[in-house]
Amino acid sequence: MAGLWWPARPAAGALRAWAPRGPHRGKTAQVPRRPLPRTPWTTRGPPPGAPLPRSWQDKRPVQEQIPGLEQVTYAGKQYFVPWLARPRLPRWERGWHDPRHSPGPRYVAMPLYKERVCYVCHQRTKMLEGVRQALWLTKTKLMEGLPPKVLSIIDEPANQLENEDERVQNAISHARVWITTELIPKRESYCPVLLEDLLHLCRTMASKYPSLSKRMLARDYKVAAAWERESSILQVRGMNGILLNAINPLLPVASKDEILATENHILETFHPISPTIDLQEVNVYEERHDTGFREGYPYPHPHTLYFVESANVRPVRFRPEQLRAKMLMFAFGNALAKAKILYGDDPKVLEHPVVVQSIGTEGRIFQFMVFQLNTTDLASSDGVKNLVWIDSDQYMYDYIRYLPGIRKKVVKFPPGIYGYRPDTFKKFLALYLHGAVQDSTQTQIL
Amino acid sequence: EYPAPPGKMAAPRGWRLAWQGHCRLLHTERSAAPPPPLYPPVVASHTAKSKSAKRRRLEYFYQQVHEAPSIAEKLRLYGRLQRLKYVVYPQTFSLNADRWYQSFTKTVFVPGLPPAGAQPAGPGAPDLSELRSLACDALLQEHFYQRKRERPFLYREQQHVPGPFLTQLVSSLSAALGSSNPLLATSCLDLKPQVNFYWERGETVVCRGYRTGRIDPVRFQIDDEPLIQIRVPKQLPEFVPLDYSVPGEVPVINHKPDKLPLFKRQYDNKIFIGSKVADPCSYGHTQFHLIPDKLKRERLLKANLADQIEVTYRANGIASLFAWTAAQAMYQGFWCEADVTRPFVSQAVISDGKYFAFFCYQLNTLALTVKADQNNPRKNICWGTESKPLYEAVEGNNVKGFNDEILLQLVQFLLNRPEQL
Repeated sequence: MAGLWWPARPAAGALRAWAPRGPHRGKTAQVPRRPLPRTPWTTRGPPPGAPLPRSWQDKRPVQEQIPGLEQVTYAGKQYFVPWLARPRLPRWERGWHDPRHSPGPRYVAMPLYKERVCYVCHQRTKMLEGVRQALWLTKTKLMEGLPPKVLSIIDEPANQLENEDERVQNAISHARVWITTELIPKRESYCPVLLEDLLHLCRTMASKYPSLSKRMLARDYKVAAAWERESSILQVRGMNGILLNAINPLLPVASKDEILATENHILETFHPISPTIDLQEVNVYEERHDTGFREGYPYPHPHTLYFVESANVRPVRFRPEQLRAKMLMFAFGNALAKAKILYGDDPKVLEHPVVVQSIGTEGRIFQFMVFQLNTTDLASSDGVKNLVWIDSDQYMYDYIRYLPGIRKKVVKFPPGIYGYRPDTFKKFLALYLHGAVQDSTQTQIL
Repeated sequence: EYPAPPGKMAAPRGWRLAWQGHCRLLHTERSAAPPPPLYPPVVASHTAKSKSAKRRRLEYFYQQVHEAPSIAEKLRLYGRLQRLKYVVYPQTFSLNADRWYQSFTKTVFVPGLPPAGAQPAGPGAPDLSELRSLACDALLQEHFYQRKRERPFLYREQQHVPGPFLTQLVSSLSAALGSSNPLLATSCLDLKPQVNFYWERGETVVCRGYRTGRIDPVRFQIDDEPLIQIRVPKQLPEFVPLDYSVPGEVPVINHKPDKLPLFKRQYDNKIFIGSKVADPCSYGHTQFHLIPDKLKRERLLKANLADQIEVTYRANGIASLFAWTAAQAMYQGFWCEADVTRPFVSQAVISDGKYFAFFCYQLNTLALTVKADQNNPRKNICWGTESKPLYEAVEGNNVKGFNDEILLQLVQFLLNRPEQL
């Protein structure tokens, strides 16, 4: 801090700045004083019953204490004098409506105004309780780890790329080191490039599985979904991430028994905190369902949502817990919008659950999620719940060394990727191939 | 040059006795290596303000670049000196910019596409109907099915619909053609990468500043940002041999580049193909460019510049491809004093969302400076087509008048690969 002229704290061993000097030098902590007797006056504030000191008494303005007294202002004089009060003049009205200077219509006057408040989750919503809050809002049960169906895709040896490790490490080096002429690229440049490179690697599997070419990526699309949850209206709106659409829907991942077993699960609440904390409260809203695409779109079913968390500055960036909550909310929003369009607006338990996957990353740590929407009856907290499998905090590598570490003129630590874990990309690829690959544990769920 | 042997300079009176070392009697063998010279070589000064001193400094600089231990070091030394240079923009509104760019880069423009080499029949010829449906799906998704803002912001129309359409088209086509072209399976797809190149061509007199009156090379820099770029680990085959004599001339323009208009700036001399030298995918395959909003067809037609529409495509193709191909050549260690020993080849597709133009570039020479260009008969060649529409119109959810030839040409571009694969 450049401007500080007094030392914030005296150096160790130095005299205290405010210690007594002169004949009483060194007498600061001489005799430990006995604790003071506990009287009403040695505790804070006056004793009960005594009048408060003047400065603590309630002060009403003079106009209230002496009715009929008005402030003398310089309004009549039409010029300022320092000893008279400042007048409160009426607001100037233009007299005609100028669109460039008008404050806009008031909320109360808008046609979509409603008394009842609606809580909206958008792409910058950072929820306080993270995944627990999102689970309550979407009436979902959490299962740790990825579902066994997806894990079995990883175990198949045919579902791997040629030279997978080398190609993934090249992709990581490209995004983190080679992409710029400077030494170190910023997260805003390397994070989306890493995701695009990994997607490009996954797309090269289309030569083995032709049904992979029946997918289309959509960027900058907006989703809208609305539902009621224990007397609050909730909505999910806005642009979220990159969506991979497919011609065929994903088959349900959990069996009927597991779905019925969720009836006994009790959703976790966090009592003093309301579950709608950090959601934006709006009074002007419209409850609608929109997948972001019109009818007749040849790739109608959402397959995977990719979230890129690439803010440069750490306070703005989503923490992993908040990123997982956002992934859950938007996967739920996409699934709910699709379900309402397919099966109608009535809240009911779905015959064919809707499955949406979601992957979020901030350049090094990946979060994988598979969400299954079992029911659109979300108003009450009992009954069949939705299911979500989350695999959180998967590191793709530990760190990158940009410059060689030289000790005693010998290169001890060469530049490159350190701590590469191949499992993370296998899970990424497995989530991509899910739905296009026939695996051994697939059962007909009807 | 060593000084003249003292034996020859001796006075004629004592000539029989005066041979010392350098002269040989007849019928004798040279017994040992010649003795080391007594005096250091007489060379021009290093620091004088003279032409020979300048030549000596240049020779020393070229020697340093030749002896650089790695390619990154070579590029750093090549662009170490920063001076004012012309910044060449591939996407420019200047009139007749393609002829100027041809003269800056010593390129001959040949209308049409290069002679098709015998492509080996791949493992499976791609199904055109499938690719057509992919292209139509991408087109309809961006134009109709995806709900977007009704009116994009000012000058952002190209990145609203045509940009995402091109990105989607290229990524899905390259994935679908991965089985036919194994090179695409090992390629690297870059979105909005930086491509930079710095070179010198011709000479001029410095007109103001403390260096007034000195002869300086004319420096150029291209900083380009193609929409999509495909880089591959193996080089594409050449279209024509290295010393092929092209029917066509490089235009000679007898004006200063300032008249184009072209402006000078001084900053880092960057040479970059989209990723650093350590990347294994160091050769280029295809670039895709999007014509910006200010150079769209409608604007040029409104300004009575209908003949400049093709000029913008050509200028963009020549400048971008020259920068990319020449940077690839420099990444392999070639530069203006060490000319390329094999031709470097790249392709580009330039479009504004509806009209597509295809360009192929073959770099035969990097020696564009005055000294290196004195006895250099080679020229760079750029082939290019006119811009043709991919479709006539998109009405609702169907595409009218889809042009299969453009799609076929695009597919052939993506299927280009070396013969070994």
